Amino acid sequence: MSTLRSRKRQQLALLLGPVTLFLGVFLLLPLAIMVVYSFLMPGLYGGVEWSYYPHNYGRILGFADPEFEVFDPVYLSIFARSVKIALITVALTLLVCYPAAFQIAALPDRWKNFALFLITLPFFASLIVRLFIWVLILRPTGFINLTLEELGLIDAPLDLLYTEGAVILGMVYIYIPFMFLPLYASVEKLDWTLIRASQDLGAGPFDTFRRIILPLTLPGIAGGCIIVFIPALGNFIVPAVLGGAKSMMLGNLIEQQFLAARNWPFGSALAMLVMAVVLLLLYFAIRQERADPAGSGRA
Amino acid sequence: MFRHLGMKALLAFTLLFFAFIYVPIALIVVYSFNADPVNMMRWSGFTLDWYRQIFGLRNAASEAALYIETTEQLLAAVKNSFIVAFSTTALSTVLGTSAAMALYRHPFAGQRFYRVLLFVPMLMPDIVLGIALLIFFVGAGAQLGLGTIITGQTTFLTSYVFIVVSARLAGMDRSLEQASADLGASEWTTFRRILLPQLMPGILGGALLAFIISMDDLVITYFISGTNTQTLPIYIFGMLRRGIKPEVNALAVMMLVFSFAIAFAGLYLRNRKR
Repeated sequence: MSTLRSRKRQQLALLLGPVTLFLGVFLLLPLAIMVVYSFLMPGLYGGVEWSYYPHNYGRILGFADPEFEVFDPVYLSIFARSVKIALITVALTLLVCYPAAFQIAALPDRWKNFALFLITLPFFASLIVRLFIWVLILRPTGFINLTLEELGLIDAPLDLLYTEGAVILGMVYIYIPFMFLPLYASVEKLDWTLIRASQDLGAGPFDTFRRIILPLTLPGIAGGCIIVFIPALGNFIVPAVLGGAKSMMLGNLIEQQFLAARNWPFGSALAMLVMAVVLLLLYFAIRQERADPAGSGRA
Repeated sequence: MFRHLGMKALLAFTLLFFAFIYVPIALIVVYSFNADPVNMMRWSGFTLDWYRQIFGLRNAASEAALYIETTEQLLAAVKNSFIVAFSTTALSTVLGTSAAMALYRHPFAGQRFYRVLLFVPMLMPDIVLGIALLIFFVGAGAQLGLGTIITGQTTFLTSYVFIVVSARLAGMDRSLEQASADLGASEWTTFRRILLPQLMPGILGGALLAFIISMDDLVITYFISGTNTQTLPIYIFGMLRRGIKPEVNALAVMMLVFSFAIAFAGLYLRNRKR
């Protein structure tokens, strides 16, 4: 018996040892170091001074280092803009995917599978390629402007590229599969007899939607929103390719601190801010699910 | 009457939804054959020049408009991407599969910890992992390059493999394993003859997913690739920042074809396995 147990333990160690070591060294340790860095003083020429320095956070939150600078709310406004762009992205993807999910759920099986395949297919295509397509479409000599000019609708090209609108459009485009799949999972599970019952009992379409459809699909909506919001908030590729100076987001700021300004502690503090928002969001999501494990079954 | 109209509107909306996804892709495919060297979106005849240019072949436009920097640079990026993708796929498949099997077979105290640990990289914004790895590698004195890219990507690809294989394990029939043991098969035989064949589609699926994500990864690779090592997405990202040339079109189309081919292959494998 004891040999069996020790063999089991041996097996377990063999299976878990490498992954524990790997993730311990290359995931947990780097994250821990990043947390430490965010509290260190930036060195004069890059690098760090090993002394406690809370003003990295202060530069963002309002207590800047009195020796070097006055508090500048520019970082807070970039943070606010990032949250705003991420929220608009979430709202638009939801708006686009929700009706489509109902239509696709109602299709015959063969078409349904084909439609689902078409929606997941872009996920396999290179992200940078999909964003590049929008550069070609939006730029002054791009598809939209050329078409409008040819039709005689405009005289000079419109400023479409390098705007906040372009960033949002790009985000919506790449995050559609992220929103659609969780949404679809709960739309497909919808019990249509409940909807018919509600109609039979005299509820109007709006009441049926608000009291039956919406609560039943809420888990999918929440899931999709979180899955889109998290990568959208810290994204730096989309604003780097489609955005301009006025649509800078947290991700661009972090990249700048790491690769151009070489202020790693400040960059780490910014990354911690992104993490804090994400963790807060996940905490509420998990608590919600715990409180209502059946996924909002009460209509 | 109104309901009928509503259904029509919903169908029209869904068609627009698909148009939004696929019209841009169709546009780039069509215009990658456009001969106009100055304005990529003004149609002025069919050409294969941009495709030729990518492979360093001679073409009509090459005298007038030499756009591409060097074909070698591009090919080096492609080569790096494949080296990284194959290495990370192998590493993350082994790590992710063993983790999934450990958590499935042996109930033990630290299971929750491992589940969280393996979910962390998926829930974390890419950029956070990217900079954490950069700080770590530079601090450890590692030379940024292929080695750091492979190591860094494996940390989050392991999670993807873990999730796919775990899903497969959860749906598996354990009675076969027990029957095999009852009939006197050794643990190794049971593993090789019963568990592994059942698990294979999950492992393959996880590996395929890891491969595709590795080929496409931009954010994490961007931070830990150093200045001398480029993968394909990094190369294109750099090109976009410097100014767009018609060859990018052709390159983009070839990448689309490649990734769609992999997606189709995956789908085919999955359907055949059923």
